[in-house]
Amino acid sequence: MAQILIDGSVLSASYALIALGITLIFSIMRLLNFAHGELFMIGAFMVYYVYGAWHLPFVLGLLIAALVPALIGACFEKFLFRRVMRVATREENSMLLAVGTAILLDNVALFLFGEEQHGVPETISGVLQIAGGFLPYQRLVVVVMSLALIALLLGFVQFSRPGRAMRALAQDRDAALLMGVDVDRTSMLGFAIGAGLAGLAGGLLVTIQGVNAGIGVDISIKAFIMIMIGGAGVVSGALLGALVLGFAESIGYSALPGSETYLLIFVALVLFLIIRPQGIMGHPWG
Amino acid sequence: MRRFSALIGFALFAAVMLIAVPLALAGQGYWLTVLTTAALLAFGSLGVWLTFSIGRINIAQGAFALIGGYVVAILGTRYHVSFWLSLPLAVLIAAAVARLVGWPILRLRGVYFAMITLSLTEVASLAFLNGGSFTAGASGITSIPRPALLSSSLSIYLASALLLLIGIALAWRFAASPTGAVFRSLRQGEELAASLGIDVARYRLLAFVVSSGMGGAAGAMFAAFQQNIFPTSYTVNDSVNFMLYCFLGGLQSVAGPVVGAFLLVIAFQLLSVIQRFQALLYGIFMIAAMLFLPNGLMSLPQVLAARRHERDAVVPPR
Amino acid sequence: MSLLEIEGVSRRFGGLLAVNDVSFAVETGEILSVIGPNGAGKSTLFKLIAGFLKPSAGRILLDGKRIDGLRPHTIAARGLVRTFQETTVFREMTALENVVVAHHLRRRGSILAELLATPGVQNEQENFVANAKEILAHLGLSGFEDESARNLPHGHLRALGIAMTLAVRPRVILLDEPFAGMNSEETARAVQIVRGIRASGITVVLVEHDMGAVMRISDRIIVLNFGTLIASGSPAAIQQDETVIDAYLGRADETAAL
Repeated sequence: MAQILIDGSVLSASYALIALGITLIFSIMRLLNFAHGELFMIGAFMVYYVYGAWHLPFVLGLLIAALVPALIGACFEKFLFRRVMRVATREENSMLLAVGTAILLDNVALFLFGEEQHGVPETISGVLQIAGGFLPYQRLVVVVMSLALIALLLGFVQFSRPGRAMRALAQDRDAALLMGVDVDRTSMLGFAIGAGLAGLAGGLLVTIQGVNAGIGVDISIKAFIMIMIGGAGVVSGALLGALVLGFAESIGYSALPGSETYLLIFVALVLFLIIRPQGIMGHPWG
Repeated sequence: MRRFSALIGFALFAAVMLIAVPLALAGQGYWLTVLTTAALLAFGSLGVWLTFSIGRINIAQGAFALIGGYVVAILGTRYHVSFWLSLPLAVLIAAAVARLVGWPILRLRGVYFAMITLSLTEVASLAFLNGGSFTAGASGITSIPRPALLSSSLSIYLASALLLLIGIALAWRFAASPTGAVFRSLRQGEELAASLGIDVARYRLLAFVVSSGMGGAAGAMFAAFQQNIFPTSYTVNDSVNFMLYCFLGGLQSVAGPVVGAFLLVIAFQLLSVIQRFQALLYGIFMIAAMLFLPNGLMSLPQVLAARRHERDAVVPPR
Repeated sequence: MSLLEIEGVSRRFGGLLAVNDVSFAVETGEILSVIGPNGAGKSTLFKLIAGFLKPSAGRILLDGKRIDGLRPHTIAARGLVRTFQETTVFREMTALENVVVAHHLRRRGSILAELLATPGVQNEQENFVANAKEILAHLGLSGFEDESARNLPHGHLRALGIAMTLAVRPRVILLDEPFAGMNSEETARAVQIVRGIRASGITVVLVEHDMGAVMRISDRIIVLNFGTLIASGSPAAIQQDETVIDAYLGRADETAAL
């Protein structure tokens, strides 16, 4: 029981980074970032190379794990999405473009990183024992850093000038324009931060789960599940979705063999969406 | 007039598929297999095209192909049911599943529908993986008996080409019929359609059920020809590809998905050097198409015409 | 028995009572206007009647049969059709296609017959096309049949929306702000159109802000304020009604205070 709680908390904290990133992009640009899992995977590989293979400090790896996906995200926004969203004749266009970027990144990663599963050595060894459950220090590090990053992000969005611009843009695009928000710059920054969060989540979780070039789709699907549970484009929904998914996984894995857990999660999700198509916190029809 | 030229186009395509190709490629098993694959993928994409016409991005076609494939596999290996009986059953079962799940999920629109259908592909794969002895889990079902009458690659090709022609005729008739107009109206405004007396839920379910039945048929044919099926025979990537063919060909006309599927499948066979990079090139294609041909390859003539027009309109510098 | 009866209808959104115990009846062949300050619950009332929302309490009857809780397409099939506030048409279809598709409820062919394009189906379609052209001509849209709806000017779009509703052959038509955003000339033409609709035997209920047009066109007016029906009667009576004047003046005061 204690173990389920510990594992659930660890998963939820890092999943929250993924969900917040995709939510940020969705709320600012009305765009579902299909490549979110791929950006996560790239972040994980950055930590693997910098820290695992080249034996440089973990924190440096984490920094690069945030910067590289952020840069990719910024470029995607500037050179692809901005243009297509401006001239799109059908709303499907930007989403299909997002699918294209996911396929692209998937294959570039396969080409650069190969198919094997990679792991990294622990940054800190030892195990903490709480109420009969085991919490390795490594996981504690992941939880603490995730929570710190979440707090940092929420603070940034709440109090900083660009953060306020993002919220304005998310709430009412036309009003934000009237208020003089620079839509292009804010969108690019939002995409970069969202992508950077995905990379950070990957960089943190690689210390627990390892990484291979094929995990992108799985992570994207997890991100989708979380925003379907919570409601797309709502911060509280993203956090709630992460909690629900993290604990559903930890409970499921403790009782069932791997893939059955996800089968049940999907079935529960479809049943849930029958009752509440807009997610827990979302507005009807997004 | 438009209808007449479309009819001629269809007749020409049918002649090529059923007469010219068999004459030209008769002994060349490899190329017949390639065209069989293209025809079946195009058939599955036509279904996805129908769901595009009601304004839904359908990333579930892999799930229904998987269902169709498993129906043929289980009936053929365990109960020795003839393929010709299990093929329609595969269609019906895929359609029945679509009816069941379609009712709740079709209430979702836009990215929500895309996300949930993508998840469905994953569900189907996981369900067959965890189906115990009934689906034989990860080891899949192999040695599916060959369909009667279809022993050569030529006959297999002909059956697939025929199926595709039926599929094109079906999608084309749907698009041209009053029902097709209702489908298009749903894409442009479900509330308005409802206020005019259109049973929105019923029509969008119809499009999804027909689409999924076509996916089931494609999966059934593939399973019978490859004589095996695994939970990973169709993944999220395959569902995305079905959608991609529609999209690259163009969503405006029935020919779109067919052009998209044939062009991509054949191009990758011709350029065997680049096969390793197939998926990578898919990604680049898709991005490039979005940037330069947002309405698909079929819109190329219009885009070029517009370009020429633009250039001519510019006053030449003195 | 009245054609349309609203009996004690309420609708609650969370803590807000958008429509509060409203009752009135609509008689066959009349033009009834629903007016009231912004946020008075007029649009919600329309959505309740047309089936786009379910009442929290009360009953709605058409021909003495309950229609509350039915879905919009069923209510349309019973003969009650609404238009939308914004100019809602199918933008990627031509004007003609828009009106032809609105003949949906009169389609008789099965899907199989449609796929085979049987003579019956073709005949039916030809009738719909002829009828649609007639309706378009009647509303001053002849010549625009093959124009894509997205290229039509605003006033024509409104007319096209009404053309589509007429194609359904309703007995009651709910017009949501049919004169909004029109200049006086356009309003005069639209008023003629609405009178024409009534003359063809269709009962009209409309929500409108343009007081001049409302007073000219209505047989009867009902007034909502904060979701409650505060007055009903002839245009002349409404203009004299103290509560109505207070409601509008009260609102004017608020605006002035801001």
